[in-house]
Amino acid sequence: MSIQITGSMLLQGVVSGILAGGLYAMVALGMALIFGVMRVINIAHGTLLMLGAYSTFWLFSLYGMNPFLSILISFPLLFLVGAILQRLFVYQVVNAPELSSLLLTFGISIFISNMAMVAWTADYRSVEFLTGSFLLGPIALSKPRLVVFGFALTITELAFLFLNLTKIGKAIRATSQQRDLAQVCGINVRRIDLITFGLASGLAGAGGSLLSVMFSVFPEMGQIYVFKSFLVIVLGGAGNYPGAFFGGLILGLAEGLASLFLSAQLSEVIAYILLVLILLVRPTGLFRGRV
Amino acid sequence: MKGSRKSKESLGWAFFLGLGLGLLIWDSAAAQAPIKIGASISVTGTYAKLGSYTRDGYLMCAKEINDKGGLLGRKLEFVIYDDRSEGPTAIKLYEKLITEDKVELVMGPYSSPITAAASTVSEKYKKIMMASLAATTSIWERGFKYLFMTISPAEVYMEGLVDLAAERGLKTIAVINEDTLFSKAAAKGTIDLAKKKGLQVLMHDAYPKGTTDFSGMLIRMKALKPDVIVGGSYFDDAVATTRQMKELDFNPKMVGVTVGGDVPDFGKQLGKTADYVYGSTQWADDVKYPGAKEFTENYKKMFNREFSYHAPAAYGACQVFAEAIRRAKSLDSDKIREQLLKLKITTAFGDYQVDERGFQTAHKMVLIQWQEGRRVTVWPAQLAEAKPLYPTPPWSQRK
Repeated sequence: MSIQITGSMLLQGVVSGILAGGLYAMVALGMALIFGVMRVINIAHGTLLMLGAYSTFWLFSLYGMNPFLSILISFPLLFLVGAILQRLFVYQVVNAPELSSLLLTFGISIFISNMAMVAWTADYRSVEFLTGSFLLGPIALSKPRLVVFGFALTITELAFLFLNLTKIGKAIRATSQQRDLAQVCGINVRRIDLITFGLASGLAGAGGSLLSVMFSVFPEMGQIYVFKSFLVIVLGGAGNYPGAFFGGLILGLAEGLASLFLSAQLSEVIAYILLVLILLVRPTGLFRGRV
Repeated sequence: MKGSRKSKESLGWAFFLGLGLGLLIWDSAAAQAPIKIGASISVTGTYAKLGSYTRDGYLMCAKEINDKGGLLGRKLEFVIYDDRSEGPTAIKLYEKLITEDKVELVMGPYSSPITAAASTVSEKYKKIMMASLAATTSIWERGFKYLFMTISPAEVYMEGLVDLAAERGLKTIAVINEDTLFSKAAAKGTIDLAKKKGLQVLMHDAYPKGTTDFSGMLIRMKALKPDVIVGGSYFDDAVATTRQMKELDFNPKMVGVTVGGDVPDFGKQLGKTADYVYGSTQWADDVKYPGAKEFTENYKKMFNREFSYHAPAAYGACQVFAEAIRRAKSLDSDKIREQLLKLKITTAFGDYQVDERGFQTAHKMVLIQWQEGRRVTVWPAQLAEAKPLYPTPPWSQRK
């Protein structure tokens, strides 16, 4: 059963893809920061995202709080959780071989998602806050996705401003470029590690809050985003933060378009094919250079 | 001579008395040990919600039978483990139930794929598996001897929707389904029924279990402008597709989902977005089966929440099983099997009768529609509480 792809379908696919990509970029930026500064691949990133989504869900369903406003709570909350995790466990594997950090964060991730299952059950829940769409001729702009995209862009932009303009932000980038040199220059790298992990976790938490407005919330919701973030980092080039941003948009776009031309089964594979291709052809990422 | 005969006689009496006493003691000891019934249920994972209703149905059935003095003079006791919505886990659990916990009877888990997996174990140990919530025909085409079906097969889930669509002169249909055993069969059955009624199938696509974003598939579908959409779905995918249809301003005249649409949470999670969606169900609380009304009342008393058909199905399966055991007067698999094959009864869940494969032939489906936040039976006509609201208005004209 082949389907004629029309211009408006294509446009709809592009729009949906870019809207999804904004969130990928924001979540991936957190993971990229942790990898850049500590050389730690944080498998637990998805569970932190899940915790952010649950905090929004509970604030919304118990207190009727606006889910977008709840980012003001989920971000600092997850910043704290991230900082505690870093202080208790992750500091031990900073700059250690990748396997150690993979194992450690994998363990943390299993622990947290199982605790979530015990505490909140495995039920799928949703935040029914914003539904429907704005119509622009033949194109439907999903209201929740549009607003989520706007928030994701704003938060990502704020994170970039923080990294580029503040003293701590500059110290984070310095540490990520040359850890030893940064230390010699008087930067307290352990403190930078702590702040970076907190910031990254906060970004994951905010991502979870935004996700909860579009999709169901359940304990294992974050896992797929670990993989996607990883892919975005590879796309953008490890340690290249603006690259991570564009990587997110490219992944969203690729998925959005693939799902138009391919069956649902095949379009799920696109992300994986993209990963293999990039690793084969341009293992340094699409965007050269580190910032 | 006389004396010795008398003493022989009394010896004989004493022997029988002793035997009788012994039997009595043995019997009462047995009466104290309950009959253990093993089952795995999806307590966590994708099927958790529906699995919980299945468990409730089992527990309610056991409680009622126990309150009336038990089965064959013994109490029933369920031993239930969590299969995490995974077939391989269920296989391990049924092995454990039968070989380690030594349960005397087993009942089925929730869902077709898990029953298909778990029944290989019960068949191996020649245990009857009363499958309460498996609706896929192919499961009964494997020649298993000890597997019995309770609910209507997947293929006829959407019979009501296709019927209503044909009645209204609709011409085209698009079908999507989760790529798992039951959903595939439901989609295929719907397509066959639709073709028979003269509807044209514009699109059929499957998506992997766990998909959350259906935009691409829905955009393609929207371009084809089908009159009717059928989702061969479970719960979360039914919620997500409905919500995303709204986000894409996709307006077919009728939308039906196979499983999730019947669950109370469907309306709770979606609110007004759920309205006009059709769902198929094996049972509705306005059906007129004997004991159906009492079931609804007792369920709410015991669990203090609403339920979907999964609870009465599990309950009904357990009642059928118990009746067969009563008639067989034994827990022997072959004797129960003989009774189950010729049994023909109506429980609170509806009619039960199977063919020589153990495949359900008597039970009937019901079609519901969400109307202002309520599930209303709209098909078959003789059971219908109200007329279906038709056609579904475009999203832009709904509040």
